[in-house]
Amino acid sequence: MKTIHFHHTTHGPSLSAMRTLHARMRLLAHRRPQAALVLQVLLLTLFWYACDAAARRLHLPLPGSVLALGLLLVLLAARVVPATSLRRGADWLLAEMLLFFIPAVMAVWQHLDLVRAEGPRILAVILVGTLIVMVSTAVMVDLVWRWQRLRREGRTHAR
Amino acid sequence: MPAELVSLLWLAVTLAGYYALKPVYRRHPRWWTSPLLLVPLLLVVLGVIFGLNYPDYIRDTHWLVLMLGPATVAFALPIWRHRRLIRENWLPLLVGVVGGSAVAMLSCWGLASLAGLDEDVRRSLLPRSITTPLAMLVSGEVGGEPDLTALFVVITGVAGIALGELTLRFLPLRSALARGALFGVGAHGAGTAKAYSVGNEEGTVSSLAMVLAGLLNVLLAPLLARLLH
Repeated sequence: MKTIHFHHTTHGPSLSAMRTLHARMRLLAHRRPQAALVLQVLLLTLFWYACDAAARRLHLPLPGSVLALGLLLVLLAARVVPATSLRRGADWLLAEMLLFFIPAVMAVWQHLDLVRAEGPRILAVILVGTLIVMVSTAVMVDLVWRWQRLRREGRTHAR
Repeated sequence: MPAELVSLLWLAVTLAGYYALKPVYRRHPRWWTSPLLLVPLLLVVLGVIFGLNYPDYIRDTHWLVLMLGPATVAFALPIWRHRRLIRENWLPLLVGVVGGSAVAMLSCWGLASLAGLDEDVRRSLLPRSITTPLAMLVSGEVGGEPDLTALFVVITGVAGIALGELTLRFLPLRSALARGALFGVGAHGAGTAKAYSVGNEEGTVSSLAMVLAGLLNVLLAPLLARLLH
């Protein structure tokens, strides 16, 4: 009941059509969370598809997914799209990301010759390389972070 | 059996395998329980028994790979949700992403040359640390094979889950920022999923680092292509 009341207060007559759509999405998320999830995933997919088509058509150097990511951030910052009305769909897409990778792994089936010839060496390069990247990234970030914190503390002590 | 039915069956097996093995990973989140390793293993075993034809397999499952596009878009929401964290820590983040990407490229090229790998394998390995859709793009640009790159990216992801765990155990890191960035820069989406299991802040930093590192690589790809020419 509390949520219904909340909707009435935000549902003023002066609000734009866009706002009404978001209010409807929130109502749907409240009443039928599963349907809202499907709808939000669908919306994100359509948005990606449109941006992908635009990036191709305009020969942009950026891939469509990156363009869509940037545009969505702009829309969120401009408060055109409230984050709450896409949260469920986005969280689901991110949670199931490993599933989307699986068919890509099966490409190994097409490169069995290469795997036989260079597989162990490739694996060694990936393992050692990834370890180097992880350790150096973490150390760099941690050092800058500590340096920044020391400087901030120094400044507050000076006052 | 008609080919259409076979590919539909492989899609069903992929989905069923994933949803059956996901709870195992949730209960014991280790690198060897990752669905990214177990499901392909299951598919390979079934493929050896029943005979797997890759074009048949990918015909219906390529829809799943396409969903990586909307999933990339979905990263906008965690980034937006944690905008304060980003604003306050933009310097260490920037250093991690730029420095980490440089180390990734240089170490990859050096190690691959040292191991005596073929030219196109070396080029395909270059963008392996960034997220799949962007890595495939960079791969095409620098003269690699996008198909192979996708495979290397995923291997990096599985390896990154294990190596990240190891790094966290042995490296005394003070900030959640460093713990997150190492997953995002080193092991893209798979690492990010792992980073979220370490902590919410780690996961956010990881997703952000992943997106930024990917973008940096895409923007620098033409330059890199000219360097390698």
